[in-house]
Amino acid sequence: MFRSKYFLGLLFVGLVATTLSAQTADISPQRKQAIDSLALEKVRDLSKYISIIGNKKTPYSEATRVMDRAEELFIPGSEMGVSSVTSKEVNYYKIRKYFERLMALNYDRVNIKWYDIHYISDLERQPDGRYVGVVTIYQRFEGESDDGLKYKDTTKKDITIYVERKKTQIAGRTIEFWDVLLGDIRVTETSA
Amino acid sequence: MRSLRIIVLPVLLLAFDYSYAQLGNDMDDESKLYAQTKQVNQFFRRFNGEENEKGDRYYPDDRQYRNVKLRRKYLAMLFDGGNASFSNDLKGQFAKDVLDKDKPGVLDFHAAGWTAEVQTVFIVAGKDQPVTLFMSLEPDHLGYKWVISKVYSDIFSTYYKRDSTRIGQFLHPMSHELDFMNLRKAFMSVDSVAQFASKRFVPDYLTLFLYEVKKGNMKFKYVDDVKFHFFQIEGWYFELADFNRPGYNTGWLISNLVKVNTDKDKEALRKFIYHETP
Repeated sequence: MFRSKYFLGLLFVGLVATTLSAQTADISPQRKQAIDSLALEKVRDLSKYISIIGNKKTPYSEATRVMDRAEELFIPGSEMGVSSVTSKEVNYYKIRKYFERLMALNYDRVNIKWYDIHYISDLERQPDGRYVGVVTIYQRFEGESDDGLKYKDTTKKDITIYVERKKTQIAGRTIEFWDVLLGDIRVTETSA
Repeated sequence: MRSLRIIVLPVLLLAFDYSYAQLGNDMDDESKLYAQTKQVNQFFRRFNGEENEKGDRYYPDDRQYRNVKLRRKYLAMLFDGGNASFSNDLKGQFAKDVLDKDKPGVLDFHAAGWTAEVQTVFIVAGKDQPVTLFMSLEPDHLGYKWVISKVYSDIFSTYYKRDSTRIGQFLHPMSHELDFMNLRKAFMSVDSVAQFASKRFVPDYLTLFLYEVKKGNMKFKYVDDVKFHFFQIEGWYFELADFNRPGYNTGWLISNLVKVNTDKDKEALRKFIYHETP
């Protein structure tokens, strides 16, 4: 189900891509919109997974399964760079490590919500031909311990997206499509 | 300029209208996030008038693309409101040049004339040391990449310090007749060795930086701060910085604006930014 959902999305983007300027290096506005939708879908899935991983009621086995799913959204080697309002020092974590730290947070109740706001950059082509962009989203975190200790923050997450043209064989036909994968994420605590 | 007094209100009103707050009682926060210039990319688009209030892109075929009214509205909200040195007169002159009907000033992501100043921290001899990397966009193969174009750090500048007002140490003008045997004395004291370099010598910190990193003497720790310098608008220089603070005037904003009248002024400013002594 997980894979088939994306594949349909990819096919959609693929069709848009083929119908429009298939051989050109530029991404047309229509194709960009289709790619943006797919990227947002992946970002929303990531948001959902983070909420599940951070939820103290999620059983360990389920959290581990969700972490595996979440990792599949990223290109290998992706990292989170995290800083806070009080300290500008950025701590860098591998994606998996970041999820594990989130799961192990020392609160009895954790509530993670997402603002219904996002910003999607233009796509820029990098030397290897892949396109890269950044999607910005905002997260509200609230943690509470049984002894009454409360913590809350709002973080801005700038998420790298990589867009790449791929080929697949379906019923003997080669179909080209555009795939979207997530990359490094910069996490900053906002003062907003 | 009257136009510059129009603050962010229209944009914010639309932001209120558009935003559906998932966090019901944080509606206020959400409108602030809409107003925020969230990415440098958004600064480019707002400055050029290439997106609507929701952040959706305008393309050259769209009627509103680079519309002067839209640009005027955005421009007013792209300055750091906490900087008292921005007089209305200065901002007005800038807006007049940028929005000129015949020759509007627009920013071009791929063009020269802008650079990133990245404050980093490296560990050198067990201590945290600030190192400034100046980065620029460079075309390469099928696309573009950011490259380090210059480096500055106090740890390097001390290597080359010398007092040129004093006579100091030197290799006398007949040294060549003795096969420069006095070089032995010149290199005895590492502190004074810079005195034997040409007065026209300009240190290349990037070379030194690459050497030290490659030798393992400098280890990257983290990026402390990022800002950008723009010379793309003819006759002007401005600095772009990220303001993470409460309120509506946040994100990537113009933090410094200077009218650059001549090429000489521009060169002096460029040297100041790169820590190059004139």
